[in-house]
Amino acid sequence: MSEINLKAIIEAILFLSEEPVRVKKIASRTGISIEKAEALLGELQQDLIEQGRGLRIFEVAGGYQMGSAPELAPYLEEAVGEEESGQLSNAALETLAIIAYRQPLTRLEIEEIRGVRCEYILDNLLKRKLIRISGRKESPGRPLIYKTTPDFLQYFGLKDLRELPPLE
Amino acid sequence: MSPQPAKYTIRLPIFEGPFDLLFHLIKKEELDIWEISIASVAEQYLAYLQSMQELNLDIASEFLVMAATLLRLKSKLLLPRPVDPGEEEEEELFQFKSPEELFARLEEYRLFKEAAGFFKERAAEQRKVFLRATGGKEKYMLLSGRQQQKSYYTYWEGAHLLSEIMNRFEAAAAARALAPAIDLFEDIPIGERSAHICALLKRSGGALSFRSLLLKKNLREVLVTLIALLDLARRRQVRLLQERPLGPILVAPSQKGA
Repeated sequence: MSEINLKAIIEAILFLSEEPVRVKKIASRTGISIEKAEALLGELQQDLIEQGRGLRIFEVAGGYQMGSAPELAPYLEEAVGEEESGQLSNAALETLAIIAYRQPLTRLEIEEIRGVRCEYILDNLLKRKLIRISGRKESPGRPLIYKTTPDFLQYFGLKDLRELPPLE
Repeated sequence: MSPQPAKYTIRLPIFEGPFDLLFHLIKKEELDIWEISIASVAEQYLAYLQSMQELNLDIASEFLVMAATLLRLKSKLLLPRPVDPGEEEEEELFQFKSPEELFARLEEYRLFKEAAGFFKERAAEQRKVFLRATGGKEKYMLLSGRQQQKSYYTYWEGAHLLSEIMNRFEAAAAARALAPAIDLFEDIPIGERSAHICALLKRSGGALSFRSLLLKKNLREVLVTLIALLDLARRRQVRLLQERPLGPILVAPSQKGA
């Protein structure tokens, strides 16, 4: 298969996927090496920018995902509608920050840091799939422990947790 | 946050909790957390609560607990140390034995508060990008057919819903000690809930998702709603529909009833 075809296939795979696609998956679907797939993805990213296209390829949550170019946002907001999720409150962001850096941890551990009860916020974050329950802590009462999800990475456009800036 | 002097404005900044307020007070003094005196912080904190009270604002209990904690820390400095360091520390939100402990916690809080700023920026950046991803929203599910379903939609929706509900109760279970017990002998207002569902249907003018109706805060609510829904269906006042096998269940008004 020629390279143009391969790039076209990768473009189509990304277009059709609702979630970030891992390079490994792209490589195995197209029958090429991971290095080759990464190189082609890089070219594709470059092509989209150079040709002034409306789509971009982003590296999020451990994979690649196609989305609209950020500069087009003013033209798209109305069509797409903000209803999708609504913005997170400061309290929710604080709670997420604590979970992101200290995970996995219990509700009580979060509340100790924030000095406020967080039940309602945790409920909301769970519902939005930004966090998940990852198990129970082996301590008295075996409280639930929380972790961030791939959706969390996606929501903040992060490749992985290592991309979080150091706490300071 | 707007650290305006409270003198000229009735609108007080909204604080995310006692730490947030303390942090704000310290910042106003332009002092390092470690330089502040517990006595002056306590005074300012109480003055702030006082002004909240004068404006008839609801003060969350955490703010009051913190006020008590500050007073205790302050009084400890004034009084001679007891021979026997009291061990009767109660299980409470703020267990600080010294101002230093409190300040260490405030410092920790500051780190996360600032990290939250990072997340806020990233989210704003990210909101400019629109994805084809539908996040598994049902309205798209109906349109997009079998191909791109999120894995959990390949299970029977009911099973997913059940696990979702149970997860919520598991999360709630951690806080059970704080929640009031359900009174099992209370009357169960099925009729009231049925009427409410009918009203909701009428207002929506179409069908509602079975799932959204059942996503209630507590087990009792879920049970009452489920029984009300089944009862309404039995009496043919609503119809339960499914667009495709194993798909989401919809609650629609009955044809004659509308």
